[in-house]
Amino acid sequence: MKKRNCLKSLFTLMILISAIVPVMANGAQEEGEVSYYPADATAETVVVDAASKGQVGNWGLGNEYEIQALLTKYGQPTTYLSQAFDMDGFDDDSILAASAMTYNELGLVKNSYDGGYGYGDSVKVIDMNDEGVAMLEDNLFCTKEFAEANPETVKAFIYASMKGWAYACANVEEAAEIVFNNGSSVSPDHQLYMANEVKKLVETDTAGNPVSEYGKMEEAAMAQTLELAKKYIKLEDSVAADKLKTLTLDDIRDASYWEAAEASDGSFSVEKSSVKIQLKWLPQSQFMGYYVAKDKGFYEEVGLEVELVPGGGDIGETTAVYTGQVDFGTTWVSNLIAANAGGMGLIEVSQLYQRSGLVLVYKISE
Amino acid sequence: MSGVAMSNKKTLKINSGKVSTVLLPVLFGVLVIILWQSGILHKVLKADTFTLPVPSRIIGIVSENMPSILRNSAATIKVAFGGLILGSLLGYLLAMIATAFPKWGAGGLTIVSAFNAVPIIAIAPIMTNLTKDFSRDPNTRSMLAKMLVVMITCTVSMSINAYRGFNELKPFSEDLMKSIAAKKSTVFFKLRVPNSIPYVFTALKVSVPGSVISAMVSEYFAEYIIGVGRQIRENIVLAQYATAWAYIAAAFVIGVGLYIILLIIEDLSLKGRR
Repeated sequence: MKKRNCLKSLFTLMILISAIVPVMANGAQEEGEVSYYPADATAETVVVDAASKGQVGNWGLGNEYEIQALLTKYGQPTTYLSQAFDMDGFDDDSILAASAMTYNELGLVKNSYDGGYGYGDSVKVIDMNDEGVAMLEDNLFCTKEFAEANPETVKAFIYASMKGWAYACANVEEAAEIVFNNGSSVSPDHQLYMANEVKKLVETDTAGNPVSEYGKMEEAAMAQTLELAKKYIKLEDSVAADKLKTLTLDDIRDASYWEAAEASDGSFSVEKSSVKIQLKWLPQSQFMGYYVAKDKGFYEEVGLEVELVPGGGDIGETTAVYTGQVDFGTTWVSNLIAANAGGMGLIEVSQLYQRSGLVLVYKISE
Repeated sequence: MSGVAMSNKKTLKINSGKVSTVLLPVLFGVLVIILWQSGILHKVLKADTFTLPVPSRIIGIVSENMPSILRNSAATIKVAFGGLILGSLLGYLLAMIATAFPKWGAGGLTIVSAFNAVPIIAIAPIMTNLTKDFSRDPNTRSMLAKMLVVMITCTVSMSINAYRGFNELKPFSEDLMKSIAAKKSTVFFKLRVPNSIPYVFTALKVSVPGSVISAMVSEYFAEYIIGVGRQIRENIVLAQYATAWAYIAAAFVIGVGLYIILLIIEDLSLKGRR
């Protein structure tokens, strides 16, 4: 008899649990209006408020260091919410200050074209460049070994790519169309928006001054990137962590190839004519210079046959280059630093983005 | 569904055969580790020691970072175990309902099993969105979201197996119960429930490894950054392969550990039946 009662109560318990779970899931919807920030709120006010509520968002996976530097600047702990690759978390107010790239997520938040959230001017941003925590992003890199064995190929690739970037920035609409026709993951409108924003990053430095030489490595910005990387990249592998501390600029970049390409007349005797470049993300205007160089035949002019390999999700561009699946890659400088700390001998040969494209976006109350 | 009901009573009998079934795989594992450490495995796989570090290096990182690995492992185990319990209870309940209403029960379970075809990576972001209002604390609501993902993956195997356990009775036993005019509930609790126990373990043998895997995948999409699966992903993207392998080792210990615990519980609870 006892056993039966026991089974009966177990049965009741199961029904209770299955009834309670959905109720609990809906239970905590007590909060009403979310208060947004006044239009004239300072960066400090927004960061401190959002951080104290635990509602600063970032994607993580090596994209978080500038945000952590910003949080530190305003005396906040460096924890953040893991943000998805869409902006739904910002839209539904679970993230008050969300990470956004000026050329991608910010466009989706502001604009009302296909896929956009249409916030327009009811959002404002905190710019990493203005806050003094900018880290350089999209660059061009290969392994030291490859560069030493194929110097002419590297120079030729830089030469043609920079020609592509120059053309793309001068003809933004055409560049956006070329990228769109190369298997775009987003709408033509967004592709054009992105091309315009990327142009700004390629042609302006962290202080807002114009840059005329495409792909130049600006020492001060590189040094700041390395300094912040050393501070905020946390490695559990003590061997890698020790190596990170000792890294200098010479371990992560070599400007000689870019300088030689700049000085070149455009004729190269390439050692390897068929090369691949791993992009950091899906085909989009973020990489328009490479798409334009390929489409316009700039690579062919220097004797190169180039394949652009799209990334996306968890594609590790550093690993792809390190293992030799591709010859070149484009990544963020901080990711290259982490990879070299881990033991990869990668070397940046060109720095495309001259300022940080990362912002924190927040809503303002009207 | 791989709901292969054990042809009960045979498995896990302690005899000389058990020694060889345990010993040989262990010896093979030791051999692989020796080949791995000595670098022969790298030559066979054409791998380098950067993306596939040697075991001694992985163990070194594990011992250096014990607190962090334990913290992340605890989070993963909580999710896997919590989801497993919720999913299994729900699955058992569904099987009960299906047995109580046999006319649509079996068909209903087929529809339930369609849930199993939905990939975890599709469910995980949905659950993260659905649970956003559950708690102000991101750790709490992420935990619930992850558990719900695991629950869904564990429900189906339990409901199908338990249903079979309730219904695949020995032919004479049901007749016997009828002949003594036993009530429906008596048939259920005295005959069907005990008969379902071996089937429950069959379901758990599928669900336990599944719960660990789905817990780790759901961590990718959770708002709060914690867990073995998330650490594997973070470290691989940052090209920290040795650290990633340390967490893979932790994942291995969790998966195998929970499975061994299950086998021991099964051994104990089915003892009287052999």
